[in-house]
Amino acid sequence: MEGKRTRVDIIGDMLSSIAGKGGQIKPTHLMYKSNMSHGQMKTYIDDLVQKDLIKKVKKNNYDYVIITDKGHEFLQKLREMREFEKAFGL
Amino acid sequence: MVQFVFSPKWFWGKDIFIDAIGVFVLVLIAVFSTRYYKLNKNRNYLYLALSFYLISFSYLAKILTNFTVYSKVLETATIGLLIITYQKVRVSEILFFIGFFLYRLFALSGFYALYSVHEKQSKLSIFLMLYFMAIATYFSLSPFSYYVFYFASFILLSSITMHYYKRYKKNKYSATKFLAVSFGIIAISQIFFMFVGINLNIYVVAEIIQLIGYITLLAAFVMVLKHGREKNKG
Repeated sequence: MEGKRTRVDIIGDMLSSIAGKGGQIKPTHLMYKSNMSHGQMKTYIDDLVQKDLIKKVKKNNYDYVIITDKGHEFLQKLREMREFEKAFGL
Repeated sequence: MVQFVFSPKWFWGKDIFIDAIGVFVLVLIAVFSTRYYKLNKNRNYLYLALSFYLISFSYLAKILTNFTVYSKVLETATIGLLIITYQKVRVSEILFFIGFFLYRLFALSGFYALYSVHEKQSKLSIFLMLYFMAIATYFSLSPFSYYVFYFASFILLSSITMHYYKRYKKNKYSATKFLAVSFGIIAISQIFFMFVGINLNIYVVAEIIQLIGYITLLAAFVMVLKHGREKNKG
């Protein structure tokens, strides 16, 4: 992607990374996959949990981030939006 | 008397239906563009939505005008009284001027707004352009204005087509190709509308070409949504 990522771009990258890993991912992997700093990711995760787009769960003593149905729907909207942007050249 | 019915009688109502399809497609794209604006606050989405709304308003004005004119003319034909016929025609004529004025104003503003989304311009030049369009539309009530309006629409639509064509050359994205084709077809329909005075059947041809243009635009939009959903499944 060209230029600075917007907030929506970052959220899109995070949700895509989780969805791409079968719907759940470890926070550290998410950090690398979405190209973010630790502090930045923490803020975004808290925000997305609050918006019910993702959930934090513990499995076998490991923390995981899971994408919710609402998160999937939001990701679909974002992908449609990107296609729209690509087609219309916005 | 000024000619205010451009459609052959057998086509009355069918043209309204065709224009309504155009309104549906335009409003659909505008609604989605507004939704996307709410998501990422990129003003280009808002301007795109605004331009599509303006064009759809123009068709709404045309639909309302044609509907009123057709029903008024039909009414006089059934009543058959000379004095009433005259009054009805006068009312229709005034309605035609107001309706057609709004149609032209919204259409040219919408096409220009759409052109401006892609070819960035200063706020002053946009303001000046809209001002001149309003003035030109208001003062052009002569029969000749009909040609001027459709020619101006043709120029603006051709510029929009060129933009999408150039964009397609760069991104090779099929939906962009469909956008270029759809606006190209709608541009061609404007040329046919210009020559309606020669033969009323040309109006039918123009409306059908316009319908093909809007169906192609709908296909482009459906393609965009489909690609987005396929990516999500992937």
